[in-house]
Amino acid sequence: MSTQFAINPKLDFAIERFIDAPTRLVWEALTKPEHLKEWYMPRAWGRVVRAEMDVRPGGIFSVDIAVGNGPEFPNVGCFLEVIPMERLVWTSMLFPGYRPAVFDDIPITAIVTMERVGTGTRYVFTALHRDEADFEKNKESGWQEGTEIAVDQLVEHVTSMK
Amino acid sequence: MVQSAVADEVFYALSNATRRKVLEQLSVGPATVSELAAPFDMKLPSFVQHLSVLERSRLVKSKKRGRVRTYVIAPERFKVVEDWLTARRALWEARLNQFDQYVKQLKEKESAS
Repeated sequence: MSTQFAINPKLDFAIERFIDAPTRLVWEALTKPEHLKEWYMPRAWGRVVRAEMDVRPGGIFSVDIAVGNGPEFPNVGCFLEVIPMERLVWTSMLFPGYRPAVFDDIPITAIVTMERVGTGTRYVFTALHRDEADFEKNKESGWQEGTEIAVDQLVEHVTSMK
Repeated sequence: MVQSAVADEVFYALSNATRRKVLEQLSVGPATVSELAAPFDMKLPSFVQHLSVLERSRLVKSKKRGRVRTYVIAPERFKVVEDWLTARRALWEARLNQFDQYVKQLKEKESAS
């Protein structure tokens, strides 16, 4: 069964990288809080203060970030799809346990896919937005730039895990 | 939800200065998202996430009328914190009373000898 849905380049942000490391390590870096903390936040901007992940459909995805020594910002969501070493989907539109959340800002659904290529891994991160206005706001706010830096840090971190 | 998970969410919600300030403001009366965000120097999406953490812990409730979302305090969950602290205090007070009595006994023994 194919679970792939069409990506809309006008609404969705996709970033692709080849990581010279086994898929197993990429999955670990993505799903274990102690690894996520190492790469999720651009180091020049701030840090991950707290991360909690219950990696199963409906499980919690919660990452608190802080810029410098400033206030902490939460990011709370819920995993939707978990196929180990293949595909991980979560959304900020739902609270853990699929409980409908209340959001007035810019929700995203994130889709990560990974695929073995030789001895390495092809990694694709996609963020789905509601509409062009949301996508535009995420571009302007630095969210997109931060995500790109984070993916570079992920590549670096996974390579160091080998 | 099991009680410990409820306590986790409530204490986590309270573990942040921004969220405690919001609760202080809401204790005075209901407020809209923009009213709540005004005192803080942060982008609205980040601030809304704080509200969502509070809402998830059910320390606050929200209602949407037209395009405006209004938040109110939901006092029931504060009892989770109060009950936990009360139980700890009961234990410590009982211990202090016992200690008090023991010291009195020692004193009586000393004056009797």
